[in-house]
Amino acid sequence: MAEILGAEVDEEGYLLKVSDWTPEIANAMSEEDGIELSPEHWEVINFLQEYYKEYEFAPAVRVLTKAIAKKLGNDKGNSRYLYSLFPYGPAKQGCRFAGLPKPTGCV
Amino acid sequence: MSLISIFFTFFFYISVLIFIIGVSYKLVQYWNTPAPLKIPITPASLNTSGVILRYFREIFLFSSLYKSNKWTWLFGWCFHLALVLLFFRHLPYFWPGEVPLILYKTEVLKYSSYLLFFGLVGLLSRRFFVDRVKYISSPSDYLMLLVLIFITSTGMLMTFGNNHPNMLLVTNFASGLITFNWSELPKEMIFMAHIFPVFCLIAIFPISKLLHAPGIFFSPTFNQVDNARKKRHVSDWALNKQEGSKIDIENNNDKKE
Amino acid sequence: MTNDNPIKLPTYLEVPAIKKDAMAGNGPFKASEEVQQGLGFPGEKVDNWQQVAIDKMAETKSKYRSVQVFLDACVKCGACTDKCHYYLGTADPKNMPVARQDLFRSVYRRHFTFAGKYFPILVGAKDLDENMLDDWYNYFHQCSQCRRCAVYCPYGIDTAEISMAAREVMNVIGAGQKYPNQILGKVNKIGNNLGMPEPALRDTLEDLEDEIKDDTGVNVKLPLDVKDAEVLMVTPSADFFAEPHIDGLIGYAKVFHESGVSWTLSSYASEAANFGMFIGNYDVMRQGALRIRKAAIDLNVRRVIVGECGHAWRVAYSFWNTLTGIGSGGSDDYSLRLQRQLDSNYPQPQHMIEFTYDLIQKNKLSFDKSKNDHRVVTFHDSCNVARGSNMGDIKNGQFILPREVIKAACNHFVEMPKNTIKSSTFCCGGGGGLLTDDLIELRVKGAKPRMHALKKTEQENGVNTLAAICAICKSQFSKVLPNYDFDPYMIVSVHQLVSEAIVLSESSDTEV
Ligand code: SF4
Ligand code: SF4
Repeated sequence: MAEILGAEVDEEGYLLKVSDWTPEIANAMSEEDGIELSPEHWEVINFLQEYYKEYEFAPAVRVLTKAIAKKLGNDKGNSRYLYSLFPYGPAKQGCRFAGLPKPTGCV
Repeated sequence: MSLISIFFTFFFYISVLIFIIGVSYKLVQYWNTPAPLKIPITPASLNTSGVILRYFREIFLFSSLYKSNKWTWLFGWCFHLALVLLFFRHLPYFWPGEVPLILYKTEVLKYSSYLLFFGLVGLLSRRFFVDRVKYISSPSDYLMLLVLIFITSTGMLMTFGNNHPNMLLVTNFASGLITFNWSELPKEMIFMAHIFPVFCLIAIFPISKLLHAPGIFFSPTFNQVDNARKKRHVSDWALNKQEGSKIDIENNNDKKE
Repeated sequence: MTNDNPIKLPTYLEVPAIKKDAMAGNGPFKASEEVQQGLGFPGEKVDNWQQVAIDKMAETKSKYRSVQVFLDACVKCGACTDKCHYYLGTADPKNMPVARQDLFRSVYRRHFTFAGKYFPILVGAKDLDENMLDDWYNYFHQCSQCRRCAVYCPYGIDTAEISMAAREVMNVIGAGQKYPNQILGKVNKIGNNLGMPEPALRDTLEDLEDEIKDDTGVNVKLPLDVKDAEVLMVTPSADFFAEPHIDGLIGYAKVFHESGVSWTLSSYASEAANFGMFIGNYDVMRQGALRIRKAAIDLNVRRVIVGECGHAWRVAYSFWNTLTGIGSGGSDDYSLRLQRQLDSNYPQPQHMIEFTYDLIQKNKLSFDKSKNDHRVVTFHDSCNVARGSNMGDIKNGQFILPREVIKAACNHFVEMPKNTIKSSTFCCGGGGGLLTDDLIELRVKGAKPRMHALKKTEQENGVNTLAAICAICKSQFSKVLPNYDFDPYMIVSVHQLVSEAIVLSESSDTEV
């Protein structure tokens, strides 16, 4: 099994255990993807984690955009903006940075 | 009877026997193999008469092939049409007893051998010159076409060339096979060269791709009616739980948390 | 979702010359031990895998007439060779449908036929060795089971049937694919492909109700687990989660609102998709279908309607009645119970498109089509709907109905080139259990034929919206469109178009 900063990840780079997550891991993952985490990134990551804590599941992209709109303003509450933050998709890449499992299915 | 006549007579019956047993075996196998799910290629017919129409179009016109590739269609269709026509052309030879007048009229069908030749050479050249078709061809695919071309050529040489065997001998031999009234075979090499591969093809029919002929009738994508919502389609094994399966079908209605 | 180096496409499609091993490789990720065992398959490749595989082949061909007949009947005419989008996009000869079948057929010949046992070279018969298995794993996961090849084969030989059989054999020897098998585990445990638990689903639906209220001022409901509703709506779970799918879900809700027909979603059966079909396993597929039957019985609904999902509709339309007796004609206890419970005035199940179309025919919906005037719309026929199902019980209904629904909601509709639509439609490139990131190269290349057609329509008619009725198509397109210099947001659900143009009346009984 591959590892990142000592935490086990699966072949696609998602943490095996959510509890292993640390902010350093998020930084290391984003660095690998060539992204520097801005405060906006962190807003998304934090929201994903909060939501996950409550529902044991990542929020739908629509739910996420609305939450971000509330936090960062309406101009940023849309999927285009989120994709500009996470080019591989806010759900997939965002979840990975946040240490959550990958959303599967027809998505 | 000469040894060679005995050999050919014998070989004919062996081939036909293999053909009958082999094809029956295959037919029974296809028949007994269930088609557990409704898988017609849609848009399919919503009733049975439509299925018959679909077969009519596929068998007489090769309609799917026509949609697919005009050259292959042209060669393939010409080849099969000529085969049918030439079957009738050969009928008088095999006819036991008095040959009905109408069968003599089939004489003109001999020209369809050109069509046959054209189709076969076309199909063969596709195997050589189209890289995709070349890739998927096995030696047997070439061989089959070469044998057919050989049969066609020898037939044409006999019909249109100067080496026509004695018609009476041919008729006696051929109809003798049907009536079990065996007689000598014409001694011309070319005649033997013509019928030997034919007998071979009869024999290999049930173990080769020639099975496409019965196969098409069993193709579930063609022969099923598209009415799954109206009529429940079931086959025996599909209703029962698969052996070794972990899936608990019977208790599926108990919601597990 | 941007792509810096989009591929500039010509508007026509050329059949490429073969390029051997262009897509050679190890195939997609393999399923883990845990995932495999969850479905009842061995966790890793079994020791005597060859024997197990041959035995399974024998069993499969004795259970499926399609497999047996297709293995025998192919004459290698080559008609199908240039019909597969994966061949057209990759030029790898093993992606030609007949060559793909031949991976399976050559083993069949070697082990089960006289000619192959005694003259293997003559008839191209081969042993099932490590190399062959690797090829199976790689190339049977480069087939989206779209059935396009079958349309063009003179014997109706459907490569999808062979690739399902091959995947089943591979699962049985312990070489399963991660993506579908992991998802199937989630469906069986949680009820949907996403693994979305009930509270999250409930919360999402409430969120959407708020959104519709904000947008339109109307209380449109998205009910969950409501007993005695008229309709049980079963939709792909992507509709709860992904973009643009979720706008389609909003569209369904608005249509139900206008129809006045009470409806509900189920948290127990919150998935229409059935990946059991992709892996060719009858029992797994049946289990998925049974969940839905149970939900229908528990919620005591009168009708079952399926949302926009291509293969789900094939499974629902063509297989559900066989698997669970949901339509008419079944005679076991459950079937009889269902027949009493479900309303026989309607076909069971129905597609959401059929439901909406009916209402349009009866003039029960009103549209402000100008809302979609900024769009020039074209429709992508999804393979499994086009070649594996019907709608409306009229000939070609699966092509007619969605188009009529679009036209009811939009003023500008155009078609893509004739040989790329309806029964000749090209797969989006992501179907059949291939919609996974580890196959992204294949997905981009496989989308090429569709993208050519779209490019042509864009240049000639200014198309800017691509509508589809399949969750996989929608996800796949939003991913690959930028690779071909298109806007990823041009892909929409048909019911999103409906949603945008429909005129809502406040008078309905859903007022709270
Ligand atoms: S079109 Fe059918 S018969 Fe011809 S090569 Fe393809 S699968 Fe075989
Ligand atoms: S079913 Fe579709 S993907 Fe598979 S070989 Fe045929 S055309 Fe290609």
